[in-house]
Parts: sequence; structure tokens; C-alpha cells
Amino acid sequence: MEKSRNKDPKVTIKIPRPLYNNLKEIIAGSGFDSATDFIVYVLRDIISHELYRGKESLSAGEIDIIRKRLKALGYFS
Amino acid sequence: MPSDRKVLVIGLDCATPQLVFDRWKEKLPNLKKLIDGGSYGLLESTIPPITVPAWMSMMTSKDPGTLGFYGFRNRKNYSYDEMFFATSTVVKEKTVWDILSEQGKKSIVVGVPPAYPPKPLNGNLLSCFLTPGPESDYTYPKELKSEIVTNCGGYIFDVMNFRTDDKEKLLRDIDELAENRFGVTKYLMQNKEWDFCMFVEMGVDRIHHGYWKYFDKEHVLYEPNSKYENAIQDFYIKIDQMIGELLSVAGDDTIVLVVSDHGAKRMDGGLCFNEWLMQEGYLTLKQKPEGRTQVKHDNIDWSKTKAWGSGGYYGRLFMNVKGREPNGIIPKEDYEKVRSELVEKLEALTDMQGKVMGTRAYRPEEIYSTVNNIAPDLIVLFGDLYWRSVGTVGFGSIHTLENDTGPDDANHAQHGIFIMYDPRGQQKKGKLEGTNIMDVGPTILNLFGIEPPRDMRGKIVK
Repeated sequence: MEKSRNKDPKVTIKIPRPLYNNLKEIIAGSGFDSATDFIVYVLRDIISHELYRGKESLSAGEIDIIRKRLKALGYFS
Repeated sequence: MPSDRKVLVIGLDCATPQLVFDRWKEKLPNLKKLIDGGSYGLLESTIPPITVPAWMSMMTSKDPGTLGFYGFRNRKNYSYDEMFFATSTVVKEKTVWDILSEQGKKSIVVGVPPAYPPKPLNGNLLSCFLTPGPESDYTYPKELKSEIVTNCGGYIFDVMNFRTDDKEKLLRDIDELAENRFGVTKYLMQNKEWDFCMFVEMGVDRIHHGYWKYFDKEHVLYEPNSKYENAIQDFYIKIDQMIGELLSVAGDDTIVLVVSDHGAKRMDGGLCFNEWLMQEGYLTLKQKPEGRTQVKHDNIDWSKTKAWGSGGYYGRLFMNVKGREPNGIIPKEDYEKVRSELVEKLEALTDMQGKVMGTRAYRPEEIYSTVNNIAPDLIVLFGDLYWRSVGTVGFGSIHTLENDTGPDDANHAQHGIFIMYDPRGQQKKGKLEGTNIMDVGPTILNLFGIEPPRDMRGKIVK
């Protein structure tokens, strides 16, 4: 369950304590400062890959703009 | 490395060792401090030495063959006209910041090409000069865009009208570009958590191409006593001042690298690649061109064509092979024979005075550890890169002093710069030899105490 306050940019999400403890073990010695940092990174990664999936190919209009710019820059004639 | 150390990489696209290390070093106090107090040297670029793939080769420690893209435009298949652009989506190898993200390190990445569309990382990223426009989603995370617009007045991708004779406006645009890029990077360094920060400034490349002939007395179009004689020098001084500001923000905990993807040199002219191929009987057009015109694929008589080329800062040669191209005529068993013949003839090319130019034609499989996707059959660097490749025909000669894409004074050079500076002095100092662009990635990981993945091809610079 989530608790959120309208103006607070962060929300609290509850996860099972054994899972939390396991995460703490996994990140020990890594560059992650806390289990929260690790969870935020993993969730962002999942979500952004989903969002990114739709952008894997550029639209014809976008390609045309880039092609013209590169030509103008002299990268090809 | 102790956990309190950070790494800042300042990428200056096209920054040139002869200018930074020698000619103007005394006028660049911040770069001088890094050079004299750290290690420095030439950085050998990719073949071809061009923005894409060079920056990604640096950040993945993979050669262009492994990356599977050889320039901005690449053949999608063996048809004559289907190409794909090397956007961020074609980069399949892990970058330094991908690896740092997995280790929990936070990164700021600004404008490292190709970076559009922006890919996720543990940190903040802005795309590069290959972004279609300000309406595009050019940041990761997406909401960073509005923050940049609010606090930095937006993000400038590039100078938009580069091929211009309005040199006054171009100078102002290049200044504005640099101020914006440095400003955005400084804002992010001051307002975001980071362990690793890298940004690429494109203005250095643009000013070389636009103003080289005004200071280089050996340039064929040198204009003495021009008001733009000091344009490039002044820009380096400006960049140096802005580097100083970033160093102040970075502080003494941060190890600093200043790198470029390639260098620059004067451009002596253009070699009309397709004109030469026609002259040598490798390329036949259906209709003789009236005046200067680009070679359209539908005007090529493929039944009489063995090879065609394309223009740019380097040449790409494609061969018309039977069973490979739709109307190929070179039998597969003759492929290497014809290719060797072309290499020999290209490397024997002479300049307008009849002197051998020093052209090199490279077979991809000889210079890359593997060749993914479709590489050109030959990658050609004309006249030791003092000459660019001109794809247009109708010049009536294989040499031209004019550029078919508009005014351009400089070409790319094979070596860029590498500077590494640890404010705490915990490094070897002095001039480095034999540093390769693929060494940068593993060197950065090593600074974080991370063992570089075994498939990284570069070595660690210590």
C-alpha cells in the first residue's frame, strides 16, 4: 500500500522485511548507498526500458531532420 | 579508488593536440595546469576518425566493427539505397555509464553522440547534436527537460546554419552553443548527485571547420590579416575559462580527463571519388551529368558498374558484387582481386602537382576485431586526411578546391587529445605515448576501482 501526501515528491512503498534484508545483503560492497537507492534504480531501469521500447526507431520525419543536419555539417555529401 | 573520488570527463569534439599542447598552451591556463600537473598525449582515434563512431568507441572500448556502425550513415542491407542512421538505439555495447549504473554509481552525461533518443541510466542524461529539435524528449529522466528549460534557458543541440558565409553570426552561434553546454553541465554538477560526469562540447569542431583558413598560413585558401585570424585561438581561450569554472565546481576530489574524439588539420581540397571511379572505368552513369550533380543510384548503370563511392570527411567505397548486390557484376571469386586493384590505385593517387597524396584504403576486416552489420568494402582516407571525399560528379577533374557541401576549411585528423589530472597528484605524470581512444573507457572504470569487462579492447592508462 502507498501513503502519499499531495505535495511530497516522494512516496513510501512497503515491501516484505525478508526481501529488504536480502536486498541489503546484495548491495553490500556495491556502490549503492542504501536498499532504497537500489530499488529506485531497478524500478527506473524497468520503467524507462518500457518507455524506451516505443522509441527504438525514429520517425521518418526525425530521420529526415537528422539527415539534413548531417549533410549541412559536411559529414556526407 | 577511495569512494569519495569522482571523475569528470570534458570532451572537446575535434580538439587538436598541436593547438592545445603546443601552439596555444601558454594562453590556456586551466588546460596548462592539467597538462603540466597530470599526464597527456596524443589519442589515436578510430578509423575513420569521425564523431560517430569515435565517441562510442571511446565509451564502450569497442572498435567500430564491433559496434557495427562505421559513420553516421550505414548500409541497412545490400540494396543500393537503404541506409540506417547510427542513433543511440544502434549502440548495443555497454557504455562506461551503463557499467557504473550497475555498480550504483550516479552519472551525468551531456551530449555524447549518438545519444538520441536518450537511454536510461542511473543518473541524468541529455542527448546530443543529433536530436531532431527542442520539441523532442531529449533528457533522461524525461522530466529533466523542463528543469533544464527553467534553469538553463533550454539546451542547444548545435549551430543550425553551419554552412554559411555569414562568419559573424556563426561565431556568435558557436559561442552561444558552448556557453549553453558548459552552463547546463555546470548546473547539473551543482544540483545533481554524481560520481561520474561527462559532457561533449561540439563548438571546437564547428569553429575548426569554419575558421581554419584564417590562421593557418599553409592553408591553400589562407586569408592573411583577416579579422578572424584569432577566431579559433579566442574560442580555445573561452573554452579554457569555462573549463576553469567546471574545475572549481568539481573540486579536489575529482579526477579530470580532457579528451577529443579526433583532431583537425587544414583541408587542401576534395578528391572527387565518383569522378575518379568513372575515369577508371569502375562506375558508369546512364546519363552524363550536366554540371555538378550528386550521383543518384537510379542513374547508375549497374550492369557496367563495379564500385561506387560516397563523400564526406573520408571516403566509403562499395562494390557491386554478383549475388550480393541486386545487380552485382563482380564474381565473388574476383572480389578480393578487384578490391586489391582498387586499393593499389587509390593509394597511388596524386595531387594537383602530381605528387603522391598519401591516401590509405582500409579493408574493414584488417582494422577491426570483428565486422558486424555491413561495413563499406573500403574505408578511404584521402591524402593523409588533408583531402575530403567528394561524392558529387561534374567537376571535370578529380581534384577540387571547392567543397560540394559548402564552405569548410578543415578536415579531421587521426589523433585527438588525452589529458588526465588528479588534483591529489596520485598518478604518473608527463607525456604519454601510444594512447588509443579505446583506452579511455577502461581507464575511467579503473579510477573507480572497477575491473573493466574482458571484452573491452583498450588498456588502462595509469
